[in-house]
Amino acid sequence: MSGQSKERFMRPFIIGASLLFFIGVAATVVLPFYDEVMQRENANAKIKNYAIDSPEYRGRQVYIREGCHVCHTQFVRPVKADSSLGPVSVPEDYRHDYPHLLGSVRTGSDLTWVGTRWNEQWHRVHLKNPRQVFPGSTMPSYSYLSDQDTEDLIAYLMSLKPAPSTEGR
Amino acid sequence: MTAIAHNENRVVRLFFYSSITWLLIGMTIGLILAIKYVWPNFLVWGEFLQKYLSYGRIRPAHTHVVLFGWLSMAYAGGLFYIIPQLTRKSLEHPRLAHAIGILWNIYIVAAIVTLSMGYTTTIEYAESTWPLDVYLIVLVAGAAYICFKTIAKRNESQLYVSLWYFMGSLIWLPFLYIIGNIVTYFITGIPQALAGWFYGHNVIGLWFTTVGVGFIYYLLPLLSKNPLYSHKLSLIGFWTIATFYVWNGPHHLQNGPIPAWLMKAGVIPSVLLIIPVWTVLANVFGTMKGKWHMISENVPLKFVVTGAIFYLITCLQGPFQSLMQPSAILKFTNWIIGHAHMPLFGAFSFVLFALFYHALPSLTGRKIYSDTLMNWHFWLSIIGFLIFAFTTWTAGVMQGFAWTEGKQYGVPFLEVVVSLQPFAIARAIGGTLMFIGQIVFAYNVRRSIKDGQLLSVEEKSTSTA
Repeated sequence: MSGQSKERFMRPFIIGASLLFFIGVAATVVLPFYDEVMQRENANAKIKNYAIDSPEYRGRQVYIREGCHVCHTQFVRPVKADSSLGPVSVPEDYRHDYPHLLGSVRTGSDLTWVGTRWNEQWHRVHLKNPRQVFPGSTMPSYSYLSDQDTEDLIAYLMSLKPAPSTEGR
Repeated sequence: MTAIAHNENRVVRLFFYSSITWLLIGMTIGLILAIKYVWPNFLVWGEFLQKYLSYGRIRPAHTHVVLFGWLSMAYAGGLFYIIPQLTRKSLEHPRLAHAIGILWNIYIVAAIVTLSMGYTTTIEYAESTWPLDVYLIVLVAGAAYICFKTIAKRNESQLYVSLWYFMGSLIWLPFLYIIGNIVTYFITGIPQALAGWFYGHNVIGLWFTTVGVGFIYYLLPLLSKNPLYSHKLSLIGFWTIATFYVWNGPHHLQNGPIPAWLMKAGVIPSVLLIIPVWTVLANVFGTMKGKWHMISENVPLKFVVTGAIFYLITCLQGPFQSLMQPSAILKFTNWIIGHAHMPLFGAFSFVLFALFYHALPSLTGRKIYSDTLMNWHFWLSIIGFLIFAFTTWTAGVMQGFAWTEGKQYGVPFLEVVVSLQPFAIARAIGGTLMFIGQIVFAYNVRRSIKDGQLLSVEEKSTSTA
């Protein structure tokens, strides 16, 4: 038990714990921020850089308010489980996303490129009553949204299409 | 050791009783979510309920209440209870601590209301909006200040293991919280996601885990009446967790839109986390040597040891699923939900239950009302949790492989959802058992305060030793 006599000072713990912490912050938060792929934008990022008064921008705010990101992801990985979802996501796609809507669980399907899958009328029916088009679906009904909110949300969802230059990625 | 000072006692009780209330509320919301997962029209009775109890809105409310109302308030109470014991120094600024407790409760109420109104930052576990974040940071900083000042003025020169963990956590939490809640406010895209996940992962690793481990190191020798097995192991454990845990954030974007170097930087330390968890467990098993029979009659000890074992399973499962290949199947599935509940419920809530049962008699001067109910609490919690965990893990594996077969959106995706309904139902049943267990817990605590048998003078003097 002779080693115990050393632990009489708070300072080594405070300094050590802080130092190790900030090394990790530098490596996993600060360095990536300055990685050049994070600072570049591509054609997809430009599409998603909505003007503040556009329906797509307002629709994105509805998406956030209703917590769609809680059940739907927005990133496609180069793995078999994402093989039919469309072009694989790259950091440049997200340059202007604020807040990012990557998500962490697919209770519903991935929506990165949902704009390529359905049309406006389909969304109108599906958002009001998901089980009308998908019997057995567990998605909540968004019948309480105002017409304006619904149309804005649909405009946003329909805008989620890959730019032609990034197809087949 | 001396009896607890009156003011300090009042503070600890405020934090403990508040946290139990939040535990019940947080789990009620969780149960609503689990039922909505099976029956989406549950509670869709009128537009008001449909809107304000919408799945996407109350899911962050569930995580906020259990993380910051239940676990964090209970942790703060635990720190205010244990630090004076280990330093033989009464708590500094007990009035300030009491005020922090009241203000903390206001934070949770405000977070629930704003989240269900749809005000969210979308950053997981940091969904509350920035004015509330600043408010909570002030409270956390205040609590950290009180703890550090108490430790600095200690009458016991030796710093016991638990105190290292507490000091580390109290430094890390405010910085973590600032990175996840304030830094993310100013940046966009993938860097924002990385800062968010830095916080999202490390709030578990450098707050919930490290304070919880400090509690284990405090409780285990007291409950088993054995000295801590190895001092050296605990030293290795502390410094390795401080070194490796911080690097884990990027594994949340495994296979995603981040550079390859960053994935490696995130995964290698994740795997190395097996070292600190193993040191803790080796210490737990070593300390228990010759005392395993006590588990059959000592419910708090049973809770601590079970919690420690769940901590081990979490930290074996975590490194595995952070690897590229397992992640390609398991990421985004139900598996992750089972994994996320294990450290927070299975491991560290269990440790807290032990702490509550251990500390309450010295706080109230009364014994725990019913040993039988304590046992019911244990078995309902563990059976409920195992049902919950194994159904989410199984469903997750099935989901992951179904997606690799191309069932990724539209009707094929729906087929997977529908076929996993039995698992979702089992999950809700497991959750119900867990919830009933906590009602038993809250009832037992309530009865102990009112009708528990009074401690004798002799018991009073030893109950805090």
